[in-house]
Amino acid sequence: MSRFDEIAIVATAQTPARRRYPDSEASLLLDLTNQLLAETRLPRSAVDFTIAGSCDYLSGLPFAFVSNVDGFGAWPPVYESHVEMDGAWALFEAWVRLQVGDIDVALIAGSGKSSPGTPREIFPLQTDPYYAAPLGLDPVSVAGLQARALLDAGLATERDFAAVVARSRRAALTNPNAQVAKDVSIEALLAEPYFASPLRKHDLPPISDGAAAVLIARGKRARELTDKPVWIRAIDHRIDSHHLGLRDLTDSPSTRLAARGVGVHAGPLDVAELCVRYSPEEIVLRRALELKDDTPVNPSGGPLSGHPVMATGLVRVIEVANRIRAGGARRGLAHAASGPALQQNLLCILEAA
Amino acid sequence: MSSLPSLAYTLEYPYTRTTGPVVGAFLTGLRDGRLLGIRCGRRVLCPPLEYDPETGASLAPDFVEVGPGGTLLSWTWIAEPTRKHPFQEPFAFALIRPDGADSAVCHAVKASGPEALRTGGRVRTQYRAERKGAITDLYFAPEAEAEAQYVPPGKGAVELTEHLISLTYSEPLAPHRERFAKGLLAGKFIGQRSPASGKVYLPSKGYDPIERVRMTERDDVVVADTGTVVAFTVITPVQYYGQKETEPYIRASILLDGADQPLGQQDIRTIPVAEFRTGLRVRAVWKSAAERSVLEVDNRWGGTGAVIERWEPTGEPDVPFEQIREHNW
Amino acid sequence: MAERCAVVGIGQTKYARRRGDVSLEGLVREAALRALEDAHVGWQDLDAIVIGKAPDALEGVMMPELSLCDALFAVGKPIHRVHTAGSVGASTAISAATLVESGRYQTVLTLGYEKQSDGNATWALGGGRSGSQGAGGSFAPWIRNYIQRSGAPEHVGWKVAVKDRLNACKNPYAHLQMPDITIEKVKESPLLWDPLHFLESCPSSDGAAAMVLTNAEGAKRAPRPPAWVIAHAKRTEFSQFPGRDTVKPAAGVDCAKALYQKAGITNPRKQIDVAELYVPFSWYEPMWLEGHLICEENEGWKMTDAGETELDGAFPVNPSGGVLSSNAIGASGMIRCLEAASQVRGTAGAYQVDGAKVALGHAYGGAAQYFAMWIVASDPEPRYRGSR
Repeated sequence: MSRFDEIAIVATAQTPARRRYPDSEASLLLDLTNQLLAETRLPRSAVDFTIAGSCDYLSGLPFAFVSNVDGFGAWPPVYESHVEMDGAWALFEAWVRLQVGDIDVALIAGSGKSSPGTPREIFPLQTDPYYAAPLGLDPVSVAGLQARALLDAGLATERDFAAVVARSRRAALTNPNAQVAKDVSIEALLAEPYFASPLRKHDLPPISDGAAAVLIARGKRARELTDKPVWIRAIDHRIDSHHLGLRDLTDSPSTRLAARGVGVHAGPLDVAELCVRYSPEEIVLRRALELKDDTPVNPSGGPLSGHPVMATGLVRVIEVANRIRAGGARRGLAHAASGPALQQNLLCILEAA
Repeated sequence: MSSLPSLAYTLEYPYTRTTGPVVGAFLTGLRDGRLLGIRCGRRVLCPPLEYDPETGASLAPDFVEVGPGGTLLSWTWIAEPTRKHPFQEPFAFALIRPDGADSAVCHAVKASGPEALRTGGRVRTQYRAERKGAITDLYFAPEAEAEAQYVPPGKGAVELTEHLISLTYSEPLAPHRERFAKGLLAGKFIGQRSPASGKVYLPSKGYDPIERVRMTERDDVVVADTGTVVAFTVITPVQYYGQKETEPYIRASILLDGADQPLGQQDIRTIPVAEFRTGLRVRAVWKSAAERSVLEVDNRWGGTGAVIERWEPTGEPDVPFEQIREHNW
Repeated sequence: MAERCAVVGIGQTKYARRRGDVSLEGLVREAALRALEDAHVGWQDLDAIVIGKAPDALEGVMMPELSLCDALFAVGKPIHRVHTAGSVGASTAISAATLVESGRYQTVLTLGYEKQSDGNATWALGGGRSGSQGAGGSFAPWIRNYIQRSGAPEHVGWKVAVKDRLNACKNPYAHLQMPDITIEKVKESPLLWDPLHFLESCPSSDGAAAMVLTNAEGAKRAPRPPAWVIAHAKRTEFSQFPGRDTVKPAAGVDCAKALYQKAGITNPRKQIDVAELYVPFSWYEPMWLEGHLICEENEGWKMTDAGETELDGAFPVNPSGGVLSSNAIGASGMIRCLEAASQVRGTAGAYQVDGAKVALGHAYGGAAQYFAMWIVASDPEPRYRGSR
């Protein structure tokens, strides 16, 4: 990756994940944009490229993303784009765009309000429209299939799932942006009834509203804007087959490919923030990433503690970046996922100067 | 939080999907009580794909009947089915490898309970009494619980499959929208004046997007209910699912006196087209207080149609085009 | 350091009101396979895939990169999906071009599509509610304003409608084939959104369009002359704000200025040989000629009226038949970019503009607030007419 320009995160901003925000998504983005500009003392016009991630179907309105432009500011007119994906993929596109070399500063955001709709009824629309969507095949059910596959293969136990939840929710106690944070014992979790066996309700993410944004800049410009740039050393994303019947749900080949692409183990990893939406996903990801047992995973609590869909992946990047800026880590991994049972995976290596 | 009820809005459409030859053959099979796979090199893929996933090459339509028995590769017992699931009482989703196939189908299994299921267990295809050439025609049951069925084949090939998608969304009114709605009930247009620019927004979104500042109740202002037509078209309604309009009507934007941007989506049905023009001065005639409703007002849509009886000309001279040239939203 | 980007393969589906013979996968594969064939590359040669389309509610399929990745042989690769309303096809082409220009990926497949017959575009454009004004209902008032500002005679719109449909008769992929269309027929067709007549409005189509993009090294292996991407630009403004000019949006002017500056174009009217402009409703031809600084204010309709935008005119616009002849919304912007590339490659067949070396591909979307445009040329370093 060394033939590419150095690009750093120079400022981050996120809303706490909440069950429901009375504010519009655009209002949340307006606040975050103002925060980033204030922190870097930049006028809006100094941002060369803006790109957002969001999903119309979450809001229930075709073209819902158009309103979000109000949040970033688009007067005078701006160079901007949008992906109907998590903000982490917007970050990918911004990183690529800056590599062209003619512009220096980009604003990236991800946002979503899951509160107005019923996510379990909306997400089946991500599946094959002929073979799966009419069955209402939802991600919780698919996660259940993945969980059972792990149990059957002897790669995990229900206790392992509960341990992920207990650790995540306890870690969230120190995260002011988390929605669900509590100290709960593995035994108490295992005593709960199944919801989508072998998953229990706590193995699922909460329903959240929220937004997140970052400002990135090229080398010299980054150093002008902050004395604590967090360098994006590498970024890669890959996808697995959509057809569950062709996949081995106990593994994540796309994560392995992306891991090779970013050189996950080219250096020590001090922290990993993974998009663990369902507790078994942590087991799959740890294996695919070949993480050492002592690598801290999701000290923020992860998506199990707050899941602002379309921002969740970008929040993982932010959590790693913030930890590095605070001196708690030198090199970290952020992961974003999209689709049922970790179908698509994005990895990002961040490093202190 | 809002004291007005949340508007629950349903986004609903009965999609009709053309299937193409491969999906079509599969769904025709289901309608006729048969499970089909497609040959792909030495493998048989079920459900069938149009291409070889290993090479991307298009596959010849070489279909093979598979099942009716199959093996459970994985399963999950759904304790609380959603309204969109194939069954409304607990059931399982599963990955099932039909006998004769080399891949697995993800589908629903109707069983007496989770105790009837285990990985490696045997299941059998079952078909709904009423089939329409859709994936929902099929389900599975454990071998021991499966019913013997006679499935009469239908006529012709399935080339179209229906999928009704219906999603309901509901959120409380944001504070500024609630005040706007209450203003409508009181026969007033409440906009907001930006503390940064002094511009009056109606309806307001709760912020000034140009100066990027949030607005609060302090910024609320009452805007006159007289104004100037700045833009319009005459809509001839096109019929589509959910369309209630049948007769042509004018849809206009009105720049109310005191507002800095036009109020759009005002439907005019009482002023003849020949008498309607940009520059026309109009006033709102409100419904009686008892008849006004803001049930259609949510965080995005104005819904003034249920509080305003009609717009009528004031009789004042037209505003010259040059003065409203730029207000053309 | 930026790499050059070239279009080395193009592929389209036959556009139609309903492509009853294909599934969604079949539709996108049809365009993709044609583009791969045109470029003489195989699925395995693609390093990344970028798809784009308009709102998912048009087909009722959410985030379709997830369910289409297998059909596009994207498993194991990066695939992402752009969504910028009606301009999306061009935004997607630009996104793919930057993947190549960044040096990160060498060969990229980009594709835009829509299968509107599965759902209903008017329903979707109205947010699923009764009383949808569709796209035409949104633009009609602004068209009325343009006519008032410019003093243009009413027949200008009808002329555009006839020109584009007759051009489409030379395009085997076009949805509408109307060899018998006349000014009279357009004038007499019903008023859908006053002042727009039915025959001045775009159809609703199923279709997909794809391109294979690669860098200079990849372009050396192309079987046909490449179309070099010289410059691209995007600009966005709010849909509504006090004093917004919806008729000649500032974002459209800014986008054109940025594009021409990057391309080194100082006189677009003379230095661009052919333009594929996003004209879904007839009057947008003169409006974009002015709105993108190809001519002065109030002169756009005169260019159209004088026949300058005909296939054999001084500034041909939409020789392919344009959006007025085929409109699968997610594909339409990509088609403009693809047809511009086709012109400078000399592969436009019966609607080839003689000697076209520099072409403009353009799209707009939303409340005429999103703009995405590119310039392609037969020469990687084009020498423009009359430049220093």
